[in-house]
Amino acid sequence: MKIAVAGKGGSGKTTISATLSRLLARRGHPVMAVDGDPNPNLAIALGMSQNSRDKMVRVPKDVMETKEEGGTRRLVMARPIEEVTAEYAMPAPDGVNLMVMTGVDHAGAG
Amino acid sequence: MRGLLGELATGDNGETMTITDMEASIEHMSRATIRHVDAILMVTEPYFRSLETVGRMAPLAQELGIEHIWAVANKVRSARDEEIIRSYCAEHGVELAAVVPWDEAIQDADREGRALMDYEPTSPAVVAVQGIADLVEGKSGSNGRGERG
Repeated sequence: MKIAVAGKGGSGKTTISATLSRLLARRGHPVMAVDGDPNPNLAIALGMSQNSRDKMVRVPKDVMETKEEGGTRRLVMARPIEEVTAEYAMPAPDGVNLMVMTGVDHAGAG
Repeated sequence: MRGLLGELATGDNGETMTITDMEASIEHMSRATIRHVDAILMVTEPYFRSLETVGRMAPLAQELGIEHIWAVANKVRSARDEEIIRSYCAEHGVELAAVVPWDEAIQDADREGRALMDYEPTSPAVVAVQGIADLVEGKSGSNGRGERG
């Protein structure tokens, strides 16, 4: 199941994302936590050590590419997903895996 | 990020729980980014500007065909706080998945740079999030331990 956690800044969505991730992992589910916030701090909220956090590399934008298909543009994986998760996912407590996305560039926006 | 979210958890029959901490509000992102999620949790505080964000996100999530659209009341200090959120959700036809109480442990854990789950795993906020985990398990039709056994 794929779950997006959203809400106004400061609403506490990171704490809820992290706690839900760890609870589901403790119940035996494989869990992939994804930090999609341009100002990422899910790693700390998950309880990942400083050492592990220092090793994290953000998933670069070029893992995706745009393809033209029958006049429509689609974003597709440029590399196999298994390869991407193997390279960028880091283990967090309770067996949660974490990937941090490259922040979307909002130049000129608010 | 769209395609990546779409790809995650598809290789294992959806068994993996993918939980994405999104940018503040979904309206800032291209619609395609969240099209491939099964559920959206809209975390809200009991005040108008926070609730308004839910009011704007919910119709967009519906338009995108997201199956489960849930609000999560957070930092709830009183029965009045809860009532404000309940009535807003009822008015806007949004299901309230959980009421997470104001919990000092969150600020205390944050101050120490620790996870709430490590700092105080039995705190009231964690108990409330257990309710979200129950809901997610129920809707995904999977019980972690059961499936593994």
